[in-house]
Amino acid sequence: MSEAIRVEGLVKRYGSFTALEGVSFGVEEGEIFGILGPNGAGKTTTLEIIEGLQRPSEGRVTVLGNDVLKEAKKIKARIGVQLQSSAYFNYLSLLEILRLLGSFYPHSMQPEELLEVVGLSDKGKNRVDQLSIGQRQRFTVAASLVNDPELVILDEPTTGLDPQARRNLWDLIREIHSRKVTVVLTSHYMEEAEALCQRLAIMDHGRIVAIDSPDRLIDRIETTYTVKLVTADPLTSDQQHLLAKSATLQKSEGGSDSAADESGSYVLRLNKTPEALNATIDRIVRSGITLKHLEILPATLEDVFLDLTGNELRD
Amino acid sequence: MLALTVANFKMMVRNRQTTFWALFFPLILVVAFGLFDFTSPDVSRVAIAGDTQTPFSSQLAEQVQGIEILELEEPPPGVEEGRALIVEGDLDFLVVIPPGYGESLPAVSPGSGLSRQAPVKLISGGESEERVRLVEGIIRPMTDAAVLGETSAEQPETLLGERVETREAPYFDIVLMGLVGMGIMTHSIISIAVRISNYRNLSILKRMLVTPLAIWKFFAAEVTAQLLLAVIQAVVILAVGVAVFGARIDGNVLNLLPVVILGSLVFLNIGFIVSAWANSPAAASGLGNVISFPMMFFAGTFFSTSTLPWLLPYGAEALPLAPMITALREIGLHGATLWDVWPQLAWLAGWVAATAAAAVKVFRFS
Repeated sequence: MSEAIRVEGLVKRYGSFTALEGVSFGVEEGEIFGILGPNGAGKTTTLEIIEGLQRPSEGRVTVLGNDVLKEAKKIKARIGVQLQSSAYFNYLSLLEILRLLGSFYPHSMQPEELLEVVGLSDKGKNRVDQLSIGQRQRFTVAASLVNDPELVILDEPTTGLDPQARRNLWDLIREIHSRKVTVVLTSHYMEEAEALCQRLAIMDHGRIVAIDSPDRLIDRIETTYTVKLVTADPLTSDQQHLLAKSATLQKSEGGSDSAADESGSYVLRLNKTPEALNATIDRIVRSGITLKHLEILPATLEDVFLDLTGNELRD
Repeated sequence: MLALTVANFKMMVRNRQTTFWALFFPLILVVAFGLFDFTSPDVSRVAIAGDTQTPFSSQLAEQVQGIEILELEEPPPGVEEGRALIVEGDLDFLVVIPPGYGESLPAVSPGSGLSRQAPVKLISGGESEERVRLVEGIIRPMTDAAVLGETSAEQPETLLGERVETREAPYFDIVLMGLVGMGIMTHSIISIAVRISNYRNLSILKRMLVTPLAIWKFFAAEVTAQLLLAVIQAVVILAVGVAVFGARIDGNVLNLLPVVILGSLVFLNIGFIVSAWANSPAAASGLGNVISFPMMFFAGTFFSTSTLPWLLPYGAEALPLAPMITALREIGLHGATLWDVWPQLAWLAGWVAATAAAAVKVFRFS
């Protein structure tokens, strides 16, 4: 399998601020590749360099076998791009916008067919501002497909969508992928990357901190179990001390509902060994805590991110 | 690019605000100026010519000076000179007194019965009928009285009215050309500034950049659609002025086209510059107004700039709207050819080049 994108030693500086500090990765043809990271990690900058919107300070980018700096026009004809929070012309109907965008390419798809792919067939005569946010987002994906591209780049396609609309969009992305189109997307939703991506690059502060399949990334980390507990009363310092012996303990902020003023909500992260798990459960029982709720969860990408960067993903 | 031009034009027409600023706002002013009657200024300028040495003429001069709505122009011009002044619109009435009017007549020629004194002539230009009758009413008793004493027979006509064609167009026609310029300026600046600023906010400019479309085509289509609208604006404003309010266009209407296009180009460039400065469409609209409103007054849309104090007239003439309006007026009202208005066209072309360079320099895509 050959590579759809090759990024080598990418550096981007804005004055004294360095947005990208040496980013390298490859995207294989036909895969869904995700770039995951918090806001400001450098995801959009990376994509914009790949799309030819920005010039790198250092490094080399090849897209579909062409150098982005030398053959930008060739590349643009073969890729589809959905920009972050991009809307479209206000006073044109969806069909008119797709027809107009299509006219910029040597080869383009039928607007009606595109709307059918994204499930907006009956909205062809509507304008963008008459669509719901979810429909709008699906439309921008349709617009990125107007030239029947070999590679589609989606920048945070599901940001701001409700769960149902997000799932619809996931189905759409899988549908595009099933047509042998390479998909690159950015996200700051872990479950999205887990659900969609075959491979994943985790970015933080302008660097790639890990790159692998979601499963293997999760496997790699040590803190596999997350124990969430809600107690009737806040833990005493003795109790906290006890629990912290076999795990890291955190008071969780948003976890409890506001009615439980007197209670405490905590998250324990512990090693993936059965011993650690047994010891922790044992300590919870011995400490005499009155439990209101207890959950033991496997690690998620959320934990991977925390493990790799020491930061929560959603800040 | 054609597809893009057509799409742009569609968008502009569908945007009701655009249509309002492009057409209805200037039309409202056209109607306003059409309804007010600007043709009777308070004071009419009167000059006395011909035989100004007679007692009658000094008596007439005295009388004229005593009437509030009349202003006597002195020293008295020659008859031909006075006529020319009226044609140019620098004088409203010229009273021509025949030699020796009001003095004893020379010997009556035999057989003619009555001696006839040649009548006094009242030459007027662009003044309204009412005003002409008013002035006649003031002068006739005097001319009558001056000859009545001499001839007791039937009353001869002592005052003869004469109208001459003036070169000066009525105020409405002058303002109409100003409104064409103003309408195009306001719309070109604000519309493009708001559109581009809006595009930038919606990332549409970036979206264009990720397609293979050469970006100059995007701007060319934008400008072409705007120019098309500017021409339509000019046609509609002039058509309403002519059809509804009886304005007269003497020149070749086609000659107006290059002026409209050059002017519009300057203002579109300014619009691009404004869009680069403004961070939101609302700010772009405000900034556009800040630029276009003072220009509308200072560049002589409604009043002549020559009445401005100090060096301001020169400053006002340098503004791009001034040569545009001047050229429109010269062509439309005085039948000038494009060659006649080359200084204005050259000045506009200079503005096009300067603003284009500035627009390219300050423009930003995001």
